[in-house]
Amino acid sequence: MATALASLLPKPLYSVAVEEEEEVEVQQPTLALAPRAVIPPYGQRSGWRPTKADDFGDGGAYPECHIAQYPNEMGRKRTAAGNTLALQVDAEGNVRYDLIATQGHREGVKVQSQFKDLVPLSQRTDLSETQRQMELPTDDEIAATAERTKLALEKLVNGKIKAAQPKHVPDAGGKSQFIRYTPVQQSGNGLKQRIIKMSEVVEDPLEPPRFKHKKVPRGPPSPPPPVLRSPPRKATAEEQKAWMIPPSISNWKNNKGFTIPLDKRLAADGRGLQDIHINDNFAKLSEALYVADRHAREEVRQRALMQQKLAQKEKESKEENLRMLAQRARQDRVAPSGSRAESAVGESSGGAGRAGLGLADYGSDESEEESERDEEEEEDEAGAKLRDEMRREKRQQRERELRMNNMGTEQRAKMLAREQNRDISEKIALGLAKPSASKESMLDQRLFNRDALPSSFADEDAYNLYDRPLFHGSSAAAAIYQRGNLGAGNDESFGGGTEEGIGEALANDRFGLGAPKNGFQGAGDQELREGPVQFEKDTGDVFGVDQFLESATRGTKRGIDEEGGDSRKRRQLNRADDREE
Amino acid sequence: MATATEGQLPPLSGLLASSSRRTAAIFASSSVPALSDELSSRAKLAVKISSEYEAVRELPIGLRQQQGPQAPRPPKAIEGPPQETTRLIEAAAGSTAPQAALTLAPTSKLQTQTPLHRALSVRKQQREIKPDYHPQWRLSRVISGHLGWVRSVAVEPGNKWFATGAGDRVIKIWDLASGELKISLTGHISTVRGLAVSPRHPYLFSCGEDKMVKCWDLEANKVIRHYHGHLSGIYALALHPTLDLLVTSGRDASARLWDMRTKAQIHVLSGHTATVGALLTAPVDPQVITGSMDSTVKLWDITAGKAMMTLTHHKKSVRALAMSPSEFSFVSGSAGGNNIKKFKLPGGELVYTCKGHEAIINAMSVNADGVQFSGGDNGSLTFWDYKTGLPFQHMDDIPQPGSLDAEAGVFCSTFDMTGTRLITGGADKTIKIYAERTQ
Repeated sequence: MATALASLLPKPLYSVAVEEEEEVEVQQPTLALAPRAVIPPYGQRSGWRPTKADDFGDGGAYPECHIAQYPNEMGRKRTAAGNTLALQVDAEGNVRYDLIATQGHREGVKVQSQFKDLVPLSQRTDLSETQRQMELPTDDEIAATAERTKLALEKLVNGKIKAAQPKHVPDAGGKSQFIRYTPVQQSGNGLKQRIIKMSEVVEDPLEPPRFKHKKVPRGPPSPPPPVLRSPPRKATAEEQKAWMIPPSISNWKNNKGFTIPLDKRLAADGRGLQDIHINDNFAKLSEALYVADRHAREEVRQRALMQQKLAQKEKESKEENLRMLAQRARQDRVAPSGSRAESAVGESSGGAGRAGLGLADYGSDESEEESERDEEEEEDEAGAKLRDEMRREKRQQRERELRMNNMGTEQRAKMLAREQNRDISEKIALGLAKPSASKESMLDQRLFNRDALPSSFADEDAYNLYDRPLFHGSSAAAAIYQRGNLGAGNDESFGGGTEEGIGEALANDRFGLGAPKNGFQGAGDQELREGPVQFEKDTGDVFGVDQFLESATRGTKRGIDEEGGDSRKRRQLNRADDREE
Repeated sequence: MATATEGQLPPLSGLLASSSRRTAAIFASSSVPALSDELSSRAKLAVKISSEYEAVRELPIGLRQQQGPQAPRPPKAIEGPPQETTRLIEAAAGSTAPQAALTLAPTSKLQTQTPLHRALSVRKQQREIKPDYHPQWRLSRVISGHLGWVRSVAVEPGNKWFATGAGDRVIKIWDLASGELKISLTGHISTVRGLAVSPRHPYLFSCGEDKMVKCWDLEANKVIRHYHGHLSGIYALALHPTLDLLVTSGRDASARLWDMRTKAQIHVLSGHTATVGALLTAPVDPQVITGSMDSTVKLWDITAGKAMMTLTHHKKSVRALAMSPSEFSFVSGSAGGNNIKKFKLPGGELVYTCKGHEAIINAMSVNADGVQFSGGDNGSLTFWDYKTGLPFQHMDDIPQPGSLDAEAGVFCSTFDMTGTRLITGGADKTIKIYAERTQ
């Protein structure tokens, strides 16, 4: 028995004896470790439990053993195939624990499940040099594989594309074959032989499929492969921290109403995560622009200053020139009485000297022609005053021009308007006239503090859109409604006096209506209106009631008293006379 | 105070002298100088050493073999025994045992060891393979023209031009020698993720994240076929080297095998549980190899449409696969360290694990000279010796001016047909061509 077992078992791996030296790798078949069953002889079977098929040999059950017995597997309930694996060892005596991983795979599937599969090829001891080589497949191998694969795949492809192939379309039943049929059993009938025509049933190609297509459930997946890598290590605290993503905090929703600290909110929106980096060049550019701007302004200022100075100098020289001319003129006027030669000399010499000479002359003549000189002096003084006047006027005009140059648009517009006698309502066009911007005028006050609109608001068909004038106050009204002085002396007021000018003015005349020659009575006396018509309460005696009462109390007759009784007829007559004159 | 006491104490020298004199007088009879007798002490030590350490004079055989052939280290001088004693010990050892303690037995003895010893010694014998010399690589050309990430590149079999597909949905064909744009092909409506030029037809195949596989006729520059069936974006495409087959794989965790001419889908290679991002085809079994984001590599039997083998060595998603043109093996790259693994074909045995490229590997290529390239998501490039798996050059991708630092990344790579130039496409929207440094 023992020897049999020893012969069955693989050789021990590590033998103390050093007798076997040759290293021949004998591929030994893997064998089951189950020992052969031993059947105790009859009479010694108490306590023996025949359970396996071997325990029965070829025979039946043992009646002396009081357990359920299934000789030849008879009577045993058929259960699902067990998935217990027999313990196996490989040629080197190692138990093949990896059988469990290979079980259930298809034929030809290799499963890497052992430690040796993790060892690099160069360090593996179970492989020979030839097994380590990684030679490219030969052409024959490639061709053979290609052929095999091609055939296998062609079959698949043909199956897949069958529907699209035209030969699949059924023909219209032209095929029929004739079969001569001779029955074996000759019955009493006269029929001995029959000819049968067999033809296929014509199928409608457009007919829906007769059988419902059933989806075949997918087969079980292949068993999972053993994992030849270390399990993932636990994340360290730092890693966990690095991967921590803060829960999202919405700025808009907080259904549970949690109190979220402000810093968390700020951290959550992610705006603070990246710091905004602005290129230095922006700062440089703006600074450069600023510097350039200042520089340019300075330059312009300097130039203006210089021009001003130049202008002043020019003006001074001009004035000097004028004064000199005046001086000379005065001298000339003096000279005919005095010596002309002196004046000539004075002319040749400088202005200052000449003035001095002139004065000296003036002084020398004093005694001789006093009366004449007095007269002339008076004349001179008057002339000088006139000149001074003119000069002042000139200066004022120049000043005004300068001021006009420096004026803003508003001022200038006003100025222009004043000069050109234009309609001041242009102010509106220029945007100068501001609607009176009091708060209550902006809103319709009648709408305040009312539950419903009162009946006084407006009727629907009433055409009063606004409850308040757009322009309020006397100044605004004056600014808008001023019509300029259309009086005489203004050349432009009637189209410059020419015919077409007047025609144009008439055509354009919007509200002046051509200024009638004869206005209403008394209209001429009235001063020109500035602004809209303003009424004032007449406190006087309009209908002459007081006067009438007074005269009644005095007792004078109406017809006699001419001046008291205001006879309208007479007055009208008088007026008519005046007009005729 | 101290000085006063010192001054009061008698001088020590006199005391010492008197004490020594007295000692000499007391022990004059016994012979103290016997200590200095060297011979006797040596003999005593030798006896002691031999009695105590005879059993361990030689190492056990197993240990000795582990120790290797090198000489044993000289024993360290211990502080405890005085110098003289150590000298004595050494002398004693030398005199009594002619051979040095703890030395190896002669090598002839090794032949007569048990199989265990032999196995151990075999294990010890390192199979050292020397790496080949490879010249360094340098950037030789940068081609800018795409408006998106360059996600795929393929070189024509005639080595005249190459095609790139990018995130701008355009396939561009470039002259390989001059780097000039030849033509732009538009038609995809999302990123073009895979390109292949057929060596036997005038066809260019492209696939993209728009679930479309297109077959372009390069004689008319038109799309002539669509292969319809993917359920999500397609990430990789490969042509069978000998048969008219097309394999695509993508985000629907499947690889699909198409018949080129009939556009029929022959197989759905399903079994992966995540996006299949890398594909390889081989002329013999396994004819299709897929690398997936479920961090496995599967080898497929395309006649049955089932996986032959699943390699579970990687810890993270496998994004790049490359097959060597000169030997029947392939490399796969994933994220993390120790992430490039070479496998032997057809069996799928692990050959080695490359160490030294700590990045998410997006692209891998191998040329016939045995140069292996791996490009990382962070722009790191590493060149390896394919035979040994040792790196010989580390580089960093330089993103083109105007792009962010984060845009240094390599998405695709391929060697040209000669293997002398490496074309990569990156996140900086450029195509970069690397060449060997010639000296």
